[in-house]
Amino acid sequence: MKIAIVDVGIGNLGSLKSALKKLNIPFTICNDPKDFTGVDKIFLPGVGNFKEFMKKLQFKKLDLIIKDSVKKKIPIFGICLGFQILFEESDEDSPTKGLDLIKGKFRNFNTLSAKIKVPHTGWNECKIVNSNKLFKNIPDNSDFYFTHSFYLENYLPENVISKTNYHLDFVSSVFKNNIFGVQFHPEKSQSNGLKLIKNFIGEC
Amino acid sequence: MLKKRLIIVLTFLDGVLFRTKKFIPDYRYTKNFVGLYSIDELIVIDISKKKFSNNFLDTIDFFSNNCFVPITVGGGIKNLDHADTYFKNGADKIILGTGSIVEKNLIKIISGKYGSQSIIQSIDIKKNDNSKYKMSLDSGKNLSEINPLDAIDVALENGAGEILINNVDLDGSLLGYDIEIVKNLIKGKKCPFLALGGAGNWQHIINLFSETDISAACTQNIFHFTEESILSAKKSLREKRINIRN
Repeated sequence: MKIAIVDVGIGNLGSLKSALKKLNIPFTICNDPKDFTGVDKIFLPGVGNFKEFMKKLQFKKLDLIIKDSVKKKIPIFGICLGFQILFEESDEDSPTKGLDLIKGKFRNFNTLSAKIKVPHTGWNECKIVNSNKLFKNIPDNSDFYFTHSFYLENYLPENVISKTNYHLDFVSSVFKNNIFGVQFHPEKSQSNGLKLIKNFIGEC
Repeated sequence: MLKKRLIIVLTFLDGVLFRTKKFIPDYRYTKNFVGLYSIDELIVIDISKKKFSNNFLDTIDFFSNNCFVPITVGGGIKNLDHADTYFKNGADKIILGTGSIVEKNLIKIISGKYGSQSIIQSIDIKKNDNSKYKMSLDSGKNLSEINPLDAIDVALENGAGEILINNVDLDGSLLGYDIEIVKNLIKGKKCPFLALGGAGNWQHIINLFSETDISAACTQNIFHFTEESILSAKKSLREKRINIRN
């Protein structure tokens, strides 16, 4: 099985690579469309700024290859910012279009109240709303590590796997056909996180 | 609910784990071991004269490959290249000290590439002769006239994601956190704060969490780096209804 990790050159892929090594799952770092030939599963990790990330993705034409892969029913797994860009748009800096694969838009927690501390950083619980094979053998309300400032609005309830509470119940993981995404960092969430990564490889 | 965090800080001198007192290496640990499975986060700091040595970079790599919690790395970051080096070797976040106090654009430059959530600004504080807390610079060696509150405002404006209040006077003292200064520095601020310096027993950590709005308690001396002691700390915290991860 060929497992791709999308690399746009921003942020650190180190912990995802370590997690896959720990699970004995071989992977290929892909930063050019031609690297994706024959790929079976795609990880789309990301940290940093939404606009910058989309710009880099488009510059390298990786946005097209991701959309193409989704059409070919290749399972894809967005993590953190890689989860956010699966959707229509984010308000980060100024409204910026995402990959538009799933319905929804991101807004900053501080638009709810100026008193909210951002980023939402630390361990928080995922309450399962629609059970999904991504969370197979992971108990309901398990803790995962989050660090982000934006939350999802205008989403479709049928896409939601789990919600997490931080001033409101926000969407912490989603699926749509062969697309999966989590707001938290499974690669930094110890045993539950490793289980989830394993589930994406083995079950999704 | 977002959990309170318990963070271990490990300081390394030439690749060897040391504990510090008032920022001066004090005691060499013989075992390079950390109970990896119940700590919430790890901060690793290089206190060697020569920074960015292979010794230390291998240390980051070791933790990155063995404990799947966020790892923050600090020590001597003065420019983007330095930050790149730590990120490349497995850091999830970096910690800035004097570097970003002196070079005002440093946070902006690094957050432009890695995002705000990857930057912790350390606010090293020390009392002056009039018992007023001021910013301590250059790993505790120099005391400036800078007011810690001003330094926090500048760091947040420039895009730091979290603030670490690092009390030089209490480092290695085991006397408990200075709750009052933590309260004063956090008041009205809109980002997560971490406190380090003084924890000598579980009650100190309970006091910090009960009396302040701190997001994380950091400690380097009280754990003997075994899984039991971290678990026993967490048990004590839960008994006092502190919302902490199992």
